[in-house]
Formats: sequence, structure tokens, C-alpha cells
Amino acid sequence: MIKRIKDQDSKGLIASKETRKIMEKFESDLVRGMSKLIVLSIIKKFGTEGLYGYKIIKELEIQTKEIFILEEGHLYPLLRKLKENGLLKSEQKTVQGRNRTYYSITHPQGEQFYNRMVGFFSKLTEALGPLFDVNVNLYPEKYLYCPECANKIDLNLGANYCVICGYNLDEIRERGKK
Amino acid sequence: MSEKNMQNIVKEYLKKVKSKLPEWLKDKKEHKEILAELEEHIWSKAEELSETGTATQRSVQIAITHMGTPESIAKEYKRRGTPKVYITEELWPYYLRVLGFVFSVILGISVISQIIEFIFGSVDFWEIFWNIIQGVQTGFLVSFAIITIIFVALSLEGYFPEDFKSKKIREKERQQLKKAQKEGIPISEITKRPVKPYIKPIGEIIGGVFGIIFGIFIILQPIPAIFNSSLINPEFLLFLQFAGLFILTEGILDLSRGLIGNRQMIAHQAIHVIIIGVKLASISVVILMMNRPEIFPILIVSEPGDALINIGIAPKYYALFRGIAGLIIAIVALSTIEDFYRIYKAERYKR
Repeated sequence: MIKRIKDQDSKGLIASKETRKIMEKFESDLVRGMSKLIVLSIIKKFGTEGLYGYKIIKELEIQTKEIFILEEGHLYPLLRKLKENGLLKSEQKTVQGRNRTYYSITHPQGEQFYNRMVGFFSKLTEALGPLFDVNVNLYPEKYLYCPECANKIDLNLGANYCVICGYNLDEIRERGKK
Repeated sequence: MSEKNMQNIVKEYLKKVKSKLPEWLKDKKEHKEILAELEEHIWSKAEELSETGTATQRSVQIAITHMGTPESIAKEYKRRGTPKVYITEELWPYYLRVLGFVFSVILGISVISQIIEFIFGSVDFWEIFWNIIQGVQTGFLVSFAIITIIFVALSLEGYFPEDFKSKKIREKERQQLKKAQKEGIPISEITKRPVKPYIKPIGEIIGGVFGIIFGIFIILQPIPAIFNSSLINPEFLLFLQFAGLFILTEGILDLSRGLIGNRQMIAHQAIHVIIIGVKLASISVVILMMNRPEIFPILIVSEPGDALINIGIAPKYYALFRGIAGLIIAIVALSTIEDFYRIYKAERYKR
């Protein structure tokens, strides 16, 4: 588990209050920027059944091997925003005597939004890889990324055009054949 | 520690969170769901943290610490709009609208009050002019400061324009938007609502026809029993004909706008420029009339069946007469603001 700066003891470079503050802010901005997409990814894995707040945090810890830790106080406002944007829907369920709010991705709006954003993020990390000396595999045999908007398209679905920007995907296939 | 005590700790924490939540969220009665979700999370976390699988006082307290301070939770809910110079992008158009409305009201009140002062008081033109400048300046500065502070505070609290609307209105607007999208009606980028038609042609046509009829009536003065030079001063009848000419012109212009409908915005803009000219020119007739209260007729019948007689205005009411004429001048002058606004508005309807 990689500890966040704010959970670290004041030793080394972060013994300086100022440096610690700058690093904390930098780290927080990075996490904040990605958290929406990451929460959507975790919820998507559970399909129409959905997931409740506490379980989202637990699943996130498991899936990211406790590297990406989302704070509880940050999660619930974020879920509300995603619901307000029409990307998530919620349902009240009583499980083992407890009332829980289960969240799932809306169809098709939430799913389409997710594919576009995950595609954009994937292409971005691929492009940034050489900068950080990291190799990113986008599995080209499984997925196609729209050349116009980076929407992630499952090749098994055989789509003819990108639902986000309307790009004709057959053109890419034709080019591939040549 | 008993279960009840642990519940009290959680309740106390949730109470603090509730008090810190933004007002717009409380109004929506959504806070109950939010608090229920947080409570469920605290208990689940407390059970996980406890070695026995049952929540303890310590595990509850750690779970609450993990959840964060009530202030930090509320801050996340308030982080809502898109920042734009301290006022969020979502509130910005409304900020400009409120400023514009308040500034117009201040300007209108200043001008009207100074015109009244000019007519009834003994101040000269330049004094009036500087009073208007001073009044408008102070009014603008104070209102600008107050409105800006209010909108910055609303932005910091994470308010959106729809938070000021009832659930019923929000639902109605949502349905209208859906219908407009289906029918291909353009959606305003500012209000996110279907664009209303620039004019209602029927209203303009009816108003225009009435204006034309009334204008012609005043010009032709077809009832000899009333429009009689031995009964009414010929100079007044001439003033009336000039007034009729302006009413007729405005009627024709309104009718033209109605016939053009929601097309050719340049034509609408050109017509409004002409209307401004006509309105300002018509002020000259009122000014001439204002200086001749003695020719203004007041027709009465002393006994039923008798002929009309003109008793005119008693000299003691001349000041009142001038005051009313001054008010008419102010109203006509201020009504040109609407025409200027329509010229500006037409720009947005050009495709």
C-alpha cells in the first residue's frame, strides 16, 4: 500500500511544512481528476446490480491493490454529481436489515460517456507513457479507439460508426485490410 | 459502551454534517438520503475495523475520523460550479441580468425624479444633469457591490440557477426542453431553454392596425361636432394632427414587424431604428403642448341635451398639466430602451 502524503510522518523532504503542503495539493489534484472515471469503472464492473458507497471504496482498494484510496467524504458528493449528470442511477435496497443505496451506470448515456472518457484516458496514458518510461498496452486486438474522439469501442460489437462523434469506422477497417 | 451511546456519537456527527450542508441541498430534502448513506457507511466501516465484527466505541470513532470533518464533507458538495472570476459560469448570465435590471431601474428612477424636480422645482438644467450623474454613479456602485457579493457567496455555496426553482417548474422545463429537442427548436446557450420566438406576429399586427386606425382618426378629425375650430383651438387641432401622424407611422411600423414575423432580423433592427426616431420626434409635439396649457380643451356638457362647451384648464392646474406632459416625455424617452434592447436581441436570432 502506498501511503498518501497526508498520512505520512514528517520525515525527509516532507518534514518541511511548505513542501508537504505543495505535494499534498499536487497529489490531491491528481486523484481528484481521476476519481470520477475510477468510480465509474468500479461501478461498471458490477453491471445492472450496482454497488453501494462502502463497497465501492472496498472494491477500489482490492482492485488497485490499495494504491488508489478514495476518501469517504469525497465519494458521496462525487456519486451525487454523477447521478445529477445522468451518468448514474440509484436504487434503495435492504440487505441484511440495512438500507443501502446501490448505484449503477445508466444505459445508454452513462455507458457511452464512460467509454468516451476511458478511451480518452487510455490514449492519454499511452501517449504519456514514454515520458514516464512506462509501457501501456491498449489491447488493439480487442478494442478500437476512435481517431477523432478516442471513444473506446469493443471490436466484438462490430459498430460501423462512433456513437460519440459519428466517425465512420468502416474506413479504418478498409485501411487496415489494405 | 452501550449501543445507544454509539448511536448518539454517530447522530451527533451527522447532525454537525447536516448543519454544514449547503442550503440548496437542504431545500431539496435530499439531505436525509445523504445522511442515511453516511450513517450506513460509518456502521459498515466500524464493523470492519472492529476485531469481533461488531462495532465498538473506538471503531465507530475511527470510522467517523475516516469519513472526514463535517466541514470537509460539506465543502465537497459545494464544489459544484465551473469557476469564472469568483462567480461560477452557471450563475454568470444571471449575475449580468440582475446587474442590467437593477442598473436600468436606478437609471429610470433617477431620470424620472429629476424631470419631476425640473418641472416643479426651481433648479436649472445643469444642476439636474449633475444630480442624475451623481445619483446614477452612487446607485451603480452600491448595487454593483451588493449584487457581486451576493453572487460570489452563492457561487462559493455551490448554487445553480435551478436551485431557485420549485421541483414542479424544473420538471416542466425539462419536458419543454425534451419537446424542443424532438421538434428541432434551437436551445439557448445561456438559459439552456428553448428559444422563445422573437415576436408574436398576431399581437404586433393587431396593435399596428389599431395604431393605424387611431392615427387616421386623429389626422382626419372626422366628427365635426367635436373637432370644430370654434370649439377647440385650431392650434391644438394641428398639434393633434401631428400626434396622429406619429401614431399612424408607429402603427405602420408595428404592422410591418408583424408581417415580417420571426424572419429577417436585419429588417426588424432597421424598423426599430426608425421607431426610435419617430418616438424621439414625437416628444417635440408634447413639448409644444406643454408650453401651451391654455389651448388644451376640456369638453363638457352642462345640461343633458345641451351642446358641448370647452372650459379649458384653470390656470392653477397649469403646473400639474406640465408635470403630466413631462411624465409623458419621460415615458416616451424611456420606452426607446426597449427598442434598443430589441435591436441587440435580434443579433442573437440571426442564423
